[in-house]
Amino acid sequence: MSGFDPVTFEIIQNALEAVTDEMFAAQRKTSMSAIIYEVLDLGSGICDAEGEIAASGAGIPAFVGVLDKAVKRILDKHPAATIRPGDLFATNDPYWGGVTHLNDMILALPVFSDGRIVAWTANIAHWNDVGGNVPGSMSSEATEIFQEGVRVPAVKLFAAGVANEAVFDILMVNSRLPDFLRGDLWAGIAGVRIGERRILELIDKYGAACFTAALEDFMRLGERHALAGVARLPNGRYAFAEEQDDGAVYRVTVEITDDSFVVDLTDNPPQKGSSNSSREGSEISAQLAFKAVADADAPGNGGFYRPLKVLTRPGTVFHVEAPGAMGYYSEVEIRLFDLILRCLAAHIPDIVPAGNFASICGTVIGGPHPDTGRHYTIVEPQLGGWGAMKGRDGNPAIFSGFHGETYNCPAEVAEARYGLTVDELALTVAEGGDGRWRGGKGISVRYRVRADDNFLSVGYTRTRVPPWGVAGGGDGTPNFVEVLRPGKPAERYAFGTNIPLNRDDVIHLVTGVGGGYGDPRERDPLAVRRDLRDGYITPEHAEAVYGLR
Amino acid sequence: MSTKTIRVATDVGGTFTDLVCFETDTATGESRVITAKSDTTPPNFEQGVLNVLDKGGVDPSTVDFLAHGTTVVINALTERKGVKVGLITTEGFRDSLEIARGNRPDFFNLHYRKPEPFVPRYLRRELPGRMSYRGEEMRPLDLSALPAILADFRADGVEAVAVCFLHAYANPAHERAALDEIRRLWPEVAAVSSHQITREWREYERSSTAVLSAYVQPTAERYLTRLSDGLSAKGFAGNLFIMQSNCGVDSVESVSKIPITMVESGPASGFWGAAELGRLIGEPNVLALDIGGTTAKCSLIEDGRVRIMTDYWIERDKRSAGYPIMVPVVDLVEIGNGGGSIAWVDDFAKLHVGPQSAGAMPGPAAYGRGGTSATTTDANLWLGRINRDYFCGGSVVADMKAAEAALKAVGDRLGVSVTEAARGIIRIANNNMVNALKLVSLNRGHDPRDFTLVAFGGGGAMHAAALAAELGVAKVVIPAGASVFSAWGMMMSDLRRDFFVTHLADLKTGAAAEIEALYAETEKLALDQFATEGIAAGKVRFLRYGKFRYQNQEHTTEVLLEGPITDARLGAIETAFHEAYEREYTYRLAAPVELVGIHLVAAAEVGKLEMKARPPSGKPASAALKGRRSVDYALDGIQDAAIYDGDKLEPGMAFAGPAVVEDSGTTVVVHPGNRVEIDGYGNIHIRLKN
Repeated sequence: MSGFDPVTFEIIQNALEAVTDEMFAAQRKTSMSAIIYEVLDLGSGICDAEGEIAASGAGIPAFVGVLDKAVKRILDKHPAATIRPGDLFATNDPYWGGVTHLNDMILALPVFSDGRIVAWTANIAHWNDVGGNVPGSMSSEATEIFQEGVRVPAVKLFAAGVANEAVFDILMVNSRLPDFLRGDLWAGIAGVRIGERRILELIDKYGAACFTAALEDFMRLGERHALAGVARLPNGRYAFAEEQDDGAVYRVTVEITDDSFVVDLTDNPPQKGSSNSSREGSEISAQLAFKAVADADAPGNGGFYRPLKVLTRPGTVFHVEAPGAMGYYSEVEIRLFDLILRCLAAHIPDIVPAGNFASICGTVIGGPHPDTGRHYTIVEPQLGGWGAMKGRDGNPAIFSGFHGETYNCPAEVAEARYGLTVDELALTVAEGGDGRWRGGKGISVRYRVRADDNFLSVGYTRTRVPPWGVAGGGDGTPNFVEVLRPGKPAERYAFGTNIPLNRDDVIHLVTGVGGGYGDPRERDPLAVRRDLRDGYITPEHAEAVYGLR
Repeated sequence: MSTKTIRVATDVGGTFTDLVCFETDTATGESRVITAKSDTTPPNFEQGVLNVLDKGGVDPSTVDFLAHGTTVVINALTERKGVKVGLITTEGFRDSLEIARGNRPDFFNLHYRKPEPFVPRYLRRELPGRMSYRGEEMRPLDLSALPAILADFRADGVEAVAVCFLHAYANPAHERAALDEIRRLWPEVAAVSSHQITREWREYERSSTAVLSAYVQPTAERYLTRLSDGLSAKGFAGNLFIMQSNCGVDSVESVSKIPITMVESGPASGFWGAAELGRLIGEPNVLALDIGGTTAKCSLIEDGRVRIMTDYWIERDKRSAGYPIMVPVVDLVEIGNGGGSIAWVDDFAKLHVGPQSAGAMPGPAAYGRGGTSATTTDANLWLGRINRDYFCGGSVVADMKAAEAALKAVGDRLGVSVTEAARGIIRIANNNMVNALKLVSLNRGHDPRDFTLVAFGGGGAMHAAALAAELGVAKVVIPAGASVFSAWGMMMSDLRRDFFVTHLADLKTGAAAEIEALYAETEKLALDQFATEGIAAGKVRFLRYGKFRYQNQEHTTEVLLEGPITDARLGAIETAFHEAYEREYTYRLAAPVELVGIHLVAAAEVGKLEMKARPPSGKPASAALKGRRSVDYALDGIQDAAIYDGDKLEPGMAFAGPAVVEDSGTTVVVHPGNRVEIDGYGNIHIRLKN
């Protein structure tokens, strides 16, 4: 192995993970928007010179796979020979390496040693508003990307260390929240720069050749983990089709051999509205499912994903073509992630739990703050119930598989910052997810609006077709949003854009209970009594479903 | 007439209870030092304290000042040995404790296990009543359901009640009313409300804090009562102080009310000791490192000040979200890497060290107690860094055959020799510790090269010089008595309380009066509390910190404020914030700055020890030389090292590496090129080439 010492490799590889954590911490702490610093809708990583992801920090698992694809696209557009030290690139356009939607801004910085690119530091964060048809920029009614905000097609934000003020000005003028945008942009710049500084220190200590060799070794380590993981899975060709809330049917075929894992998505509906995903986005869903079933603990680097192949057809929901819109790409990606897991659940029941609420449940609320008059925008995903697995009940109230080390907003902070009243933040006691091990509970949140002229936009799936049960366990319950206006019947939503809200209207957000595992009649009577005592089930339910007398 | 002042510190650890006693002649200032160790005696920990006093030959009736640190609170939490708690909270929020923040740190893992709440749902009850975030009453508190709730709690065997209402940090009136009523209806029950512990926002964190405090309260109260009674029975009539997580000590009465503040008392005293040592020897900027048997902990001291924060969690790591405790705790990073940490090779031929530890039983393979796993200690022995003929101060015969077999197993899996395996273990262990030290320095915007490394605990001195070289640190200090340094730190502690209060204010003209009033009000509260402990206002020193951020941000940067807050000084305060912010994050913004809360430190000296330096003895270092041996310095190669007897080192002695200093509790590894000097207090200063 090129004469370098394996312990030194290990030290460099550990350092890479520490650097991405530091990049993440710096960006998080300095961001202006709650969706970044509280919800942690961001990701950071280090790529090798060719753009393969080498290491990634905390945050959103679904963001980890974005950065390599962005850097590769930047390198397509800007050949390495044209890139100079001090350049810093920005892209948010899914047709230019942005992968997700226009709200997510990716910054990428080439790290130079002796005039050559040796690595990239990169991050991605959700910006609250990048212009477009609606506040928050994500519209369920958009049909073309032009309606979704300002497009930044892999351009230089800094050229040889000099800021391209024109890009800054264009970004600022296109946002409804320019001050937030500026703060969030600088937070991202601080993040990639700190990463660059640390990599240069490593190179200073160990030399560029050793650093590069350590990266290559790390990729091979990832690949070895993945191959070992694939070898543990049963070979076969597994097909599954699932009806969606809107009646469309999504199909997947997963073929597992001794050393490959192929996800075939070619047979799927044509692209439509803003619920589409880029091909790269679909790849990320497949990567997440692959990681979860092959080896959740392995380094999630480019090497790990080598055994994975994803097949798509252009013009479909999983491979949108320009100028298709994709504001709600995330609901398509998470449906796909869930679909692949469901496809495999019956074949590897010890690895894949019963279905969970499996939606970002993206919720955008905005308007004037009743006390300060300043405009506020909430952009938040919701917590929900997870599925049961063999041996234990599902987790209550955690983020979906797309949001990992993410935090909900405390009611006390929300009331001060947004001027809403939070009437309730509770676990839902909806009946569902019964089983020998039961599904975890979702949540019920009530926001009471204190001023006129507020608005609500939501994008929820799993609102009709509930999370699935396994091995005789019951299905869970669906997600939904209600608007409760004084003296009027409840309005129920799954997707909605700019729903007007006025004083004393209540937004009621409910997320699903996860699916159950096994026959409820086999549930430990002590556990049934505990659920009864805790008020999760009624005596009638305990008797009828669990046979408790 | 007393001619001596006797100060004692006792530190109850997992395995041993340590004692340090300073008998100071009031006329000359000279001290006689006694140290002793005895077994920790769970569950009656106070017995171990009485035993160690006895063993050290210290008569409690002669002791003037006794400081005490204990792991009783953290043990009760991690071993789940607290009491059954009932929680009373605001209507609509009984599930807040279970919902927590919803995060999944182990995010690829579909089998992630969310931490179970300490209070099950049926014991989480609600009362109507609501405060706003500005502390205004939106809906009056209705206590009519309380008697029935308490009756249920009694019937269910609840022994402690926690109360946490929304926005109690801004206005605690409802919490006070509920707590008064609980005490009236059920005087025997342990009861605590969130605002008594913290005045910061975030309802889940505050609920968790109140619940965990209630959970350990009866246990801790019992412990403290038995300790006081046991000491009194032996004639102790001096002042008893309890070590706190904020690096201060506090009175037994005060700690009994909110015992959760003891949660990190052990590490806190060591870090405080490092800060005090730094002051003593003129090193205000210190990286403090404490290496024990199973973990290494580190903290950063800047300008003589420890950093105290309130975002502390137990059981939080890459696999679990853990539980928050919002009390003032010294800012520390802890990793599972100590002398007993086990080296292992994964399925992909990668070498790791820790976090599993061989513990005291069976311990490292070289203990010869049946341990077959190679530990960092085994590697240190194999490489000659630890003296195999003077293992554990000569109390253990090193089983080198067992150590070799354990190291060989690691080497075989890696395809390398025993020696290469041992070197690899040392390098990986050092790397883990370097990363921890970077987390408290680089990740907080500090350059480690501006700091002096102070290393203590059983293993600190063995690794410190290598870590310093890696970090570019120019100087290492190994304190005299490094293995009982935490107990020394306790003796140097002040009576100290940290007050954190959330309060939003824009930093603009007209705002100063309100901010000044908040500090003044909090200072008065502190003085009132100190007065009940018999401490006069004139003895209390304050440090005022403000927590600031750019408008709309969340995370705050702390800035030390000197003097009263006036409108004229707001500009200077804002500038200080911009500078602190830029240092940590590389840029500043032209955005409005807001205050998010205050952090007030109130401290008073209570019989603190005065150290006196001895003059250089004039003897050469060769007087302490006890031999030479071959030592493997890993990256610095195999060297013929001079071996010094630590007990014979005297002020003014100087020598150069490669060398090893040994005494019964500590081994100091001095690398080639290092220069060593002993100061007037017996501390070992190691200068690196850097």
